[in-house]
Amino acid sequence: MVKFTRRSFLQASGVAAAGLASPIGMPALLRSAQAQSGPVKLGCLFSSSGTMANLEGRLNYVVKMAADEINAKGGVNGRTIDVLVSDPASDWPLYAQTAKQMLQQEKVSALFGCWTSVSRKTVLPVVEQEKGLLYYPLHFEGDENSKNVVYVNSPPASSVLPAVDYLMSEEGVSAKRFFMLGSDYVWPRTINKQLKGYWKSKGIPESAWKEEYVPFGFSNFQTLVNQIRAFADQGGGQPVVVLTVVGNSIPDFMREFANQGILATDIPVLGLDMVEADLEGLDTSKLVGHLNCWAYLQNAKGPANETFLKNWAGYVTAKNVPFKGDVSIDPMVSAYDSVHLWAMAAQKAGSFEVPEVSKAFAGLTFDCPSGYKIAMTGENNYVSRGVFIGSVNDKQGFDILWQSKDTPKPVPFSPYG
Amino acid sequence: MTFRHLPTFLAGLLVSAVLATPGAAAALDRAAVVAGLCGNAGQMFEAAAALTATAATGSDEDRAWALALPRALIEKTLACDAAGAVLGNGRLDAVSRVVREPAPDARAPVLSLKNRAVFEQADAALALRSTPDAGARAAALRMLERRPATIPEGLLDAAAARESDPALKAQIEGLAQTAALNASDPTARLRAIGRIAENPSRRALAQMAELTRDPAYATNADFRAAIDAATRRIERGIAIGDVLAALYNGLSFASILFMAAIGLAIIFGLMGVINLAQGELIMIGAYVTWMVQQGLRAVAPALLDWYLILAIPVAFVVTAAIGIALEALLLRHLYKRPLMSLLATWAVSLFLVNLVRVVFGTQNMQFETPFYVSGGVPVIGDFIFTWNRMFAIAFAVVTLALTWAIVRKTPLGLNIRAVTQNRDMAACIGIPTRSVDRMAFGLGSGLAGLAGLALSPIYSVNPQMGQNFIIDSFMVVVLGGVGTIAGTVVAALGIGQINVLIEPLWGAVAAKVIVLLMIIAFLQWRPEGLFAVKGRRK
Repeated sequence: MVKFTRRSFLQASGVAAAGLASPIGMPALLRSAQAQSGPVKLGCLFSSSGTMANLEGRLNYVVKMAADEINAKGGVNGRTIDVLVSDPASDWPLYAQTAKQMLQQEKVSALFGCWTSVSRKTVLPVVEQEKGLLYYPLHFEGDENSKNVVYVNSPPASSVLPAVDYLMSEEGVSAKRFFMLGSDYVWPRTINKQLKGYWKSKGIPESAWKEEYVPFGFSNFQTLVNQIRAFADQGGGQPVVVLTVVGNSIPDFMREFANQGILATDIPVLGLDMVEADLEGLDTSKLVGHLNCWAYLQNAKGPANETFLKNWAGYVTAKNVPFKGDVSIDPMVSAYDSVHLWAMAAQKAGSFEVPEVSKAFAGLTFDCPSGYKIAMTGENNYVSRGVFIGSVNDKQGFDILWQSKDTPKPVPFSPYG
Repeated sequence: MTFRHLPTFLAGLLVSAVLATPGAAAALDRAAVVAGLCGNAGQMFEAAAALTATAATGSDEDRAWALALPRALIEKTLACDAAGAVLGNGRLDAVSRVVREPAPDARAPVLSLKNRAVFEQADAALALRSTPDAGARAAALRMLERRPATIPEGLLDAAAARESDPALKAQIEGLAQTAALNASDPTARLRAIGRIAENPSRRALAQMAELTRDPAYATNADFRAAIDAATRRIERGIAIGDVLAALYNGLSFASILFMAAIGLAIIFGLMGVINLAQGELIMIGAYVTWMVQQGLRAVAPALLDWYLILAIPVAFVVTAAIGIALEALLLRHLYKRPLMSLLATWAVSLFLVNLVRVVFGTQNMQFETPFYVSGGVPVIGDFIFTWNRMFAIAFAVVTLALTWAIVRKTPLGLNIRAVTQNRDMAACIGIPTRSVDRMAFGLGSGLAGLAGLALSPIYSVNPQMGQNFIIDSFMVVVLGGVGTIAGTVVAALGIGQINVLIEPLWGAVAAKVIVLLMIIAFLQWRPEGLFAVKGRRK
């Protein structure tokens, strides 16, 4: 036995403790500002570590920025907003645990959070049981309608289906064959199920599509890109790839795709979760033309977007935010809309109690940076948003290829599932 | 199709007279084309068609005028305003080519996906006819080859007639023969079938399958024989291509696994330390590579393309130094406590991830793609030989050779092997086991740094990247038999190849599960792994 001195023990356990404290174990709730006279609390459920860190991390700051804007105008119902930030570390059960802690101990008035549908599904029973309110800023698979969740972004009927319609139209590429590639969890599987139902309803035969799933964090796409090429070369019409992989699988897939010499004009990829941040670090000159669809793109025209981009750039500089000030993605804007929609509802209700706030949803409208006036009805907790189809450009961003005339009414439950 | 081998000038005039279509006439309506380029999607489509027709049948002046237009649209350097359009940074009016400033409200039209394809086609057609640079003409020909069915009639013949480069001329004529698949001349068709069969692919097979529905297939015996022979040849080519692709994919995945595992094999084999920070050393190797790239960009931009080579010693030395420091400060106190060392290295891994996160941020790092790791060459069937994977394979082979040489041929290697086999006896005969440990830990860490370098052209580089490798590399090390280089190689090859074979059959998720089950089953039967060394931990 080596003599185990007190000093070496302290060294080892000190380092171990320093490391262990941060992303695992119980998440530490950080209070952003000193307690003023009864500020109202909002909670964020976005990871700053793990696979989702690069995407979710920036949403914490957007929520704070929106809260600062509201506070500068005197707050809500005479009270200022205090934003609590946590780190669920891209670990799905930890989202539920953090949500519970925020609702029970911190008594937050509303939660803003989750990116992946699997994290939302773990939080759902908690907010329902605790009668909390969760604003969810991502477009998702629909088929869910809880009175404790506000679905700020679009269900498939007003995001994925218009994009697929575009690809299948004469104006698009008259797509006839579809290769669906997704990460193996609820969002890709549900989306693909609905797409298959949709294609069946259009009389497209089952032989015209193929479905493949990869584990979370998968990055070795060589064999799958080979399969896509083989699928495309079988003939029978224009093939497209409907990509529902998430996180770092997106850039790794796109890199391999371009490297095997496939252009967007050969086989276009519709990246449903692909945002500007996924293109950071990629040479996009070989990816020009691939598509995505969201309710906001950074190139959206209009004064609301100019103001938002200017404010975000200013906020990044002023608060030393560790994200790019010149990149703005849909979930950021949706999180920003969420805070404003909540504040308007609370103001209208004259209360911070969830049932009162929920009752005030009907008829709310907000000038979203996307340029659309987004609105809520009393029917459900969905928000009607505009639809954009973007096309990758050589500057790691998206050009707007198509956008909807107005905001289609959201359809929570898909008839094609 | 017209096969006129007259002087090209005359041919151009004649063909354009025969195929007189609006916009493709000898005198191109330049203002109308530019207006179309700035119009809606349908008008842009027609303008592109007019440009492609100009490439095939237009006058030399019109072609020279049209050459810059499709590229300007593809690159979004065409500024449309009320007075027409302005080309690129030269500030030339698109119609008259007189210098002028675009209006302040000028917009750059965005190509729809459908129009992008026709503009790529127009660009390639014009470049093939009118670019002085032979390399650019060859690139244009490769672009045209992607969609042979849409090449306008007469373009390839006219281009071949005027081509000065003999090799390129032969290629153009070859493509022209391929494009004659649906020509009326039966000999041209048979020649086209033969040509297509020379480059077997699934697309060629689909073309042949389509031809079997052609009336000539039932009536013409020669035609049927040619199709059947071509189909057999293509099927053989595809089968060979598929086997090669599976081997190559397996080899490339194995090289990644091997690079990630070899450092661990040495550390785990020698000291029995389960180093959970190994993945983070890989990540740091990739970040060091990035810093070398940034340094070169600032100091010697001419050498930027070679950063992957120049970073090799830097990545090795930096990660080896981190490894040695780790050993000296932390692990040497914990050698007889495997659980403590496991926890300590885990802590180190978390510390390193968070340190990098704070210093560099969470985003993926931007790497240049030098020519030697970009793209690939089609070999046979659907097998594409991609250079970034080849780089990783070659890198793994060189690393294997060097590691083997160090362990087998140097005094350090001799000491490492002695300590691995029997630590106490090695100490008794005067080998400084502690310093051997330190050097070996440094070597293992340096190899992890090299893995990070080799992986940077393939995977995204971010603070989390190391965590993907740690489980895979432990699988390789445990399966191979702790501490043997040969075992690591064989285990990496086996896991890589089995993964690649299962993936197309049952999907990537099942592949992971099946491989794991196979390893568990194998270890039940042979707990010491493939190649067991008689070591002190028996």
